[in-house]
Amino acid sequence: MDENELPELTEDEKQLFADLMPEDLTEIMDTGVNRRHFLKLLTLAGGGLLAAQSAAAEHVLTRPFQEPAPSGIDPASLENAVNVTFKVNGMAHKVTVDSRMTVLDTLRERLNLTGSKKGCDHGQCGACTVIVNGSRVLSCLTLAASCEGKSVQTIEGLAQGNRLHPMQEAFLKHDGFQCGFCTPGQICSAVALLDEAKKGYASYVTANVRQSAGPVLLSREEIRERMSGNICRCGAYPNIVDAIQEVQSGKPVEQVFRSV
Amino acid sequence: MKDANKVIGTPVNRIDGIAKVTGKAPYSMDHPVKNPAYAILFKSTVAAGTIQAIDTAAAEKTQGVIAIITHKNAPKLNVKGGLRGGSLLQSPEIEFFGQHIGIVVAESFEQARYAARLVNVTYEAKEPKVDFDQLAKQARVPKDKEKADLKRGDVQTALSQATYKVEEVYETPIEHHHPMEPHATIAEWNGDRVTLYNSSQIVNGAQAATAATLNLKPEQVRIVSPYIGGGFGSKGGQWANLALAAVAAKHVNRPVKLALTRQQMVNSVGLRQHNRQKVSLAATADGKLTALAHETTTHCAINDEFIEPCGDCSKIMYDTPNSLITYRVVPMNLILPTYTRGPGKSTGSFALESAIDELAYKLKMDPIAFRIKNEPERDPSNGKSWSSRTTVQCLQEGAKAFGWENRKPEPRQNERGNYWIGYGVAAGTYPAHQRPTSALVKLKRIENRVMATVELAAADLGTGTYTILTQTAADALGLPVQDVKVKIGDSDLPPAAGAVGSVGAASYANAVNDACQKIIQELVDKSGKQFYVRPTAAQLMHSEKITDYQTRVDSKPLASSEEYSAHSFNANFAEVAVNKSTGMIRVNRFLAVTGAGTILNPKTARSQIIGGNVWGIGMALSEESVLDPRWGNFVTRSFADYHVPTNLDIGQLDAIFINEKDDHVNTLGVKGIGEVGIVAVAAAVANAVFNATGKRVRELPITPDKLL
Amino acid sequence: MRPFAYTRAKDAASAIKLLTENPNAKFLAGGTNLLDLMKEDVERPNALIDISGLGLSEIKTITTGANQGGISLGGLGKNTEAANHPLVRQQYPLLTQAILAGASGQIRNMATNGGNLLQRTRCPYFYEVSMPCNKRVPGSGCGAREGINRMHAIFGWSEQCVAVFPSDLAVALAALDAVITVRSANGQQRSIPIAEFYRLPGDEPQKDTNLPHGELITAIELPKNRFAEKSYYLKVRDRSSYAFALVSVAAALETEGNTIKQARIALGGVAHKPWRALKAEQMLVGKEATEANFKLAASAEMADAKPLAHNAFKVELGNRSIVLALQMALNGGKV
Repeated sequence: MDENELPELTEDEKQLFADLMPEDLTEIMDTGVNRRHFLKLLTLAGGGLLAAQSAAAEHVLTRPFQEPAPSGIDPASLENAVNVTFKVNGMAHKVTVDSRMTVLDTLRERLNLTGSKKGCDHGQCGACTVIVNGSRVLSCLTLAASCEGKSVQTIEGLAQGNRLHPMQEAFLKHDGFQCGFCTPGQICSAVALLDEAKKGYASYVTANVRQSAGPVLLSREEIRERMSGNICRCGAYPNIVDAIQEVQSGKPVEQVFRSV
Repeated sequence: MKDANKVIGTPVNRIDGIAKVTGKAPYSMDHPVKNPAYAILFKSTVAAGTIQAIDTAAAEKTQGVIAIITHKNAPKLNVKGGLRGGSLLQSPEIEFFGQHIGIVVAESFEQARYAARLVNVTYEAKEPKVDFDQLAKQARVPKDKEKADLKRGDVQTALSQATYKVEEVYETPIEHHHPMEPHATIAEWNGDRVTLYNSSQIVNGAQAATAATLNLKPEQVRIVSPYIGGGFGSKGGQWANLALAAVAAKHVNRPVKLALTRQQMVNSVGLRQHNRQKVSLAATADGKLTALAHETTTHCAINDEFIEPCGDCSKIMYDTPNSLITYRVVPMNLILPTYTRGPGKSTGSFALESAIDELAYKLKMDPIAFRIKNEPERDPSNGKSWSSRTTVQCLQEGAKAFGWENRKPEPRQNERGNYWIGYGVAAGTYPAHQRPTSALVKLKRIENRVMATVELAAADLGTGTYTILTQTAADALGLPVQDVKVKIGDSDLPPAAGAVGSVGAASYANAVNDACQKIIQELVDKSGKQFYVRPTAAQLMHSEKITDYQTRVDSKPLASSEEYSAHSFNANFAEVAVNKSTGMIRVNRFLAVTGAGTILNPKTARSQIIGGNVWGIGMALSEESVLDPRWGNFVTRSFADYHVPTNLDIGQLDAIFINEKDDHVNTLGVKGIGEVGIVAVAAAVANAVFNATGKRVRELPITPDKLL
Repeated sequence: MRPFAYTRAKDAASAIKLLTENPNAKFLAGGTNLLDLMKEDVERPNALIDISGLGLSEIKTITTGANQGGISLGGLGKNTEAANHPLVRQQYPLLTQAILAGASGQIRNMATNGGNLLQRTRCPYFYEVSMPCNKRVPGSGCGAREGINRMHAIFGWSEQCVAVFPSDLAVALAALDAVITVRSANGQQRSIPIAEFYRLPGDEPQKDTNLPHGELITAIELPKNRFAEKSYYLKVRDRSSYAFALVSVAAALETEGNTIKQARIALGGVAHKPWRALKAEQMLVGKEATEANFKLAASAEMADAKPLAHNAFKVELGNRSIVLALQMALNGGKV
């Protein structure tokens, strides 16, 4: 597999990141500086931490960052073009899209965020699940045009530097996937699910929906039902339930590998 | 330096896991290319006939359309190049509903999708052959020699003389693989060489078939497939869409992205055919089988034959003096069927193991005892010794772990509230093979650290290939897993077997092990020293002050492996709850006990097995592709209509592996688990449904209506 | 998907005006069914008027008028919000269950209450544009009538159309005698009882409802009732979750001692609209709440069913499901 070409960091820049953002260094070395690093650096600059290393800092801060590759689409060639500004993983994006373009295709084809997957494109599999304004939705059935001012979180925005989100950790530990194609959608769905449980939301398998709506500790059956909008053809469901139960309960779920 | 403990056999987290949980793993459509154009296929809306005209005027006029390619302007391709299913835009003839008949290429996906809707096609339609119930009577003897009638003894006489017998017909419907990643390709030409980012279970097979189809040399085609979003057989042999992506990219002189829509998947990339299986069993009063006949009638494509081997389990599972295995097939106007998880064995075991359960019930024998009583000492089909056989262990250990003693032999004796509870068991098998595979091992020493890279054109479709090969190389070379990098999924790497037919793990792991052993031997030879204890590769790199060294091996199966009959075996146990009022079924518990030789990684292996179980539960309860017998279209063409299991459909799943060392099958004793996990699952569930309700459903899937 | 002009509506009045001016325009709310159908080329609007920013999502107690003491759900409120609102959970648990029985968590977070009422059938012949379908193309024929019709209607179908209406929410609304509040181009609000909102296919299967082009569902009103203690939404389907109903039953009882004062039963998955089982309801009033009486009522209702080639099982399933749903309603969700 060809790797993306990344701009090489100078020794000064490496030192800068090592000193100020040591937790991000490996990622920066692996995949280059991204917008999140840039923002963090700006924050640090605001705090005056960069003073001692001004030369390297200035270089980094003034260097053009990896903008999404232009798609080759000339906005003028679009019928019914719509201008829309929305946040993706905390960063504002202004894009001109065909009115027909979904959030899923915008993420994938315009913003180079290919983590969200097109499994069916009709809201029947959940692989495209992202979190919009805090709630899990299907990006394949959401028009980009309708996202003005909204905030989208994708699988790419869950980890903090090299620190995986607890849900990502739990999926890894419990092998909550095989081929991995549905995984970004499963994880986004699971993360939003925790908030729904915190709000006391009910499900079809909730025994008594009339009972008061405080935060709920989800049983395996509740997790199963609430995750049923995310199809996993590899059949990792029990492992997915283990992962979610572990994160929601805060208690380790035992892994058993039996042989006789 | 790693310690003396081996990592093979330990539950290492998936090596590719971080890439997968962070969304960074690149699947076919995720590879960055500059300035891509977008292609959409359009398809026939009749199942048989001839295209009279294709009016593309309206489509061409729409914004963004770059090209429309049909049989009128497509380049001449080699239809016998090895891609499956035809549909290569070479003629106006229509062989099935949904055959590809053209490609629209546009600047954007939205533009291509719209334009494809505007193409107006007229046909001279013929009466299609799509009604299996009608056509089954005309089924003929297969062309495939492996499907010729197989007779031993005299089944008819044994049946006619038997008091205890079962003669029933079991039906399994058309099913679709529906991997979560629809088949998709990015094609990018560089001079006369094309790179195809395309999920491929058989990387070199995809390369060879595409090259031959495009009239190119294999080295002119590069297949890049580091991550595969599921395949289950449908991404083994490749289909027309792969070559058509290359055709489109050449035509527009730009990289092209071509993805099938979910709806297009039902008639683009094969299917599991409808099997009508008659199983006849006869036994003595004390439960000794005297006859076993397994006669399958099925369908294939109108001009090409593929038949999944439904009789395979019946060939080897039970000892019987009289045996008959036959196949009959009728061509239909449908896409060519293909390998689908547990081909033949999953569907065949439904018939065989249901019939075994029926006969055990008639004999008033415990179905486990009945099976053990008919356990064959040698492979009944060829007289060979088993490399190892674990059926009895699987049944006995499973019974213990599952609580089989709590089963009521008579149906409708176990109830919980408004549910009938039932237990079912079934046993299965899948052959174990190793296929020729090459591997390159590269060692690099930087100061005190030795790192290895292992390269081969293998595939990981969620099967754990990255992980088990890392473990294999780490152990063989004496390195920690983090110092081993595995590169697979690229036809530029040394050629490897496909991840199909459960040969992947055995072929790849043995090749990597062979390459690692070879590199150590070469380093030893190079050193000119004699060692009392064989050193590790790392030790040799240090002691001989070598910074870079590599070697390649072309690994082959053990010569002796042909002397044995080598298979994985399993026994499955299901507990179902059937709603007395509505007939809705839940599989509360499922236990799979598997003997599959060396288990390289118990975590990924368990996932493979339970994943197969989920497939089997889908087969048992909900999956069915329904054809309209008038027109040959699938009415179940979306995920809303074709019901793969959801999370809520799956109860508690447990997997137990039999600790066994099979020294005959291959060097590492690896048998493969991708397929066996689905074998005998539907039967276990159906047998449990009978035990719960007293209703014997012989036609899958067991939807609520069949239990009213 | 055909090209369309996208407009973000600023307020209800301008949204309705835009729609009224263009017979080929459609409102976009949650989009979960509309975009699905546009991708299939079944729906072909040339303009979408995005009404998702109009508010109209409040859930509140009705303080005046005929439904005083009941509650009102905003037409543009999300299904999830409706299902989980304390007023709904407490007073209309049947509605909560019905909503939660439908689709998936993600879809319920997107889909609006009004949009849910206007979703189209999932008949595969309707969805595939190369097939005949009178609902999609009037006069083209009904693919399902003589085709594969296992999922189709057993009540109220016509030779022109045998499709079923797929909503779960609407089935509960039918049982609860909901009233749909709509606003038209002249700014007037009017109320449509749910029984008059939906249609049987007859000779015009292209019309799912009696809502004319240019009207906007602003609210759904639920009259006050005494069913909260004893109600149940039962959904029978081919898999446990995320599937459309073979048969569903919204059942609600008001009892005094063991005598039934009032019964409500509506069926989903059996007709072109939510099928109110009035005959069964009437039979139950004044009777003891026993399994035997439930069976009598169910079989009286299902006796009128006219199954198609592949769905005769729905008659028996409907029978059993009505009985089970009533039992579960009576016993707090258990049997």
